[in-house]
Amino acid sequence: MTTAARTETFGKVKPRRKGLAALLTHHTFRRLTQLGILLFLVYIAVRHLLAGESGAVTTASWEAYCPFGGLETLYKYVASGGSFVSHVHLSNVVILVAALLTALIARNAFCGWLCPFGFIQDMVSSFSAFIQKRVPVIRKGVRTLKTRGARLVVLDRYLRFLKYGVLAWAVIGAAVYGFMVFRDVDPWAALWNLLELTLGMGTVVLAIVLVASLFVERPWCRYACPLGAATGLVSKLSPFYLKRESEACKACAICTKACPMGLPVHTATTIKSVDCVGCLECVDVCPREGALELKLGIPLIGK
Amino acid sequence: MKVNPFVYGLLIIVLFFGVIGGAKAAGIWSVSGKLTASGEKVAPTGTNVDEIKGWMTLDDVSAAYKVPVAEIVAAFNLPADTPGTTQIKNLESDSFSTVNLRTWLKERLGQ
Repeated sequence: MTTAARTETFGKVKPRRKGLAALLTHHTFRRLTQLGILLFLVYIAVRHLLAGESGAVTTASWEAYCPFGGLETLYKYVASGGSFVSHVHLSNVVILVAALLTALIARNAFCGWLCPFGFIQDMVSSFSAFIQKRVPVIRKGVRTLKTRGARLVVLDRYLRFLKYGVLAWAVIGAAVYGFMVFRDVDPWAALWNLLELTLGMGTVVLAIVLVASLFVERPWCRYACPLGAATGLVSKLSPFYLKRESEACKACAICTKACPMGLPVHTATTIKSVDCVGCLECVDVCPREGALELKLGIPLIGK
Repeated sequence: MKVNPFVYGLLIIVLFFGVIGGAKAAGIWSVSGKLTASGEKVAPTGTNVDEIKGWMTLDDVSAAYKVPVAEIVAAFNLPADTPGTTQIKNLESDSFSTVNLRTWLKERLGQ
């Protein structure tokens, strides 16, 4: 788009996408990426289950692809000169490096574009929205619940710090005790353990996360995910940020409603929050030309 | 500078999978404790108890560290008829785990 054309359309309502153009969005691209990764892990887990631990062929378990395992073993890996805590392999360290590098350059996009557990929470929330749209009684009930729960919104700000506590506990615990102290309560591990019909404390956490996802988007990512806490902190150094042009923005708050992390996009000038997962749902739904865009600037300064 | 969301998405995928692909190409990749980075089978050497993994059997540990299976079974109050072919992780309980076995072996061998 030329500068003249851009000036002409700046702040105007975007033309409605139709047909194939409505489908070929970065939203579809993101969903396909998330789905692809989840299907890959399902394949890995099922293959490992069928081959068995003592099978003739050595197969990888789903745990070999978890970046957080890399963080939990990091102390032992460095201190012992190359050995890992149980359930962790070299692949976990490599995937951790990939996730951190992605965060360093492209914000916390690992959570928004690649994390399969984030995707599962997104799907549960989408299912909830789908049901609410079609069943008025449920819609009314959820709305009442949300209105009553609005009083607790002040807690949201403080609960978001919880994930840093979980991060410290998981990493320091693994360093001190030599095993993954977080594993027993990890809902991601619990999800895969269901395949082996193994239940535990993690299953309870998983159930809480899935039920909460019916009412709040990405509750695990917002409040408790230790990996998101780590990549979020690294993402502060990324040159990417979101810019809201107040001259074009009509503060309709559609962007804020679309944000799965519950960030107040429509009142901010720039969005550089550690909680932003770079999903760009806000950019996708923004109805005005140039009101909300993804920008590349100088890290930390963001201009 | 404005960035197209598609380009951003592409960058994420290239970065993330690029690092993994690069590591694989360089041989810095292993998805199982049973295999080394070069794909060879791992076997306990008897030199460092930290090498003991949950997938190893009591026989593996016994042969590598020259400690009878019966002694391990007795030390952790495991059922006397526990076969040596049992994997350590399948015996884990409140009183027995891979970590416990490593600690006990370390003391036993004076490492």
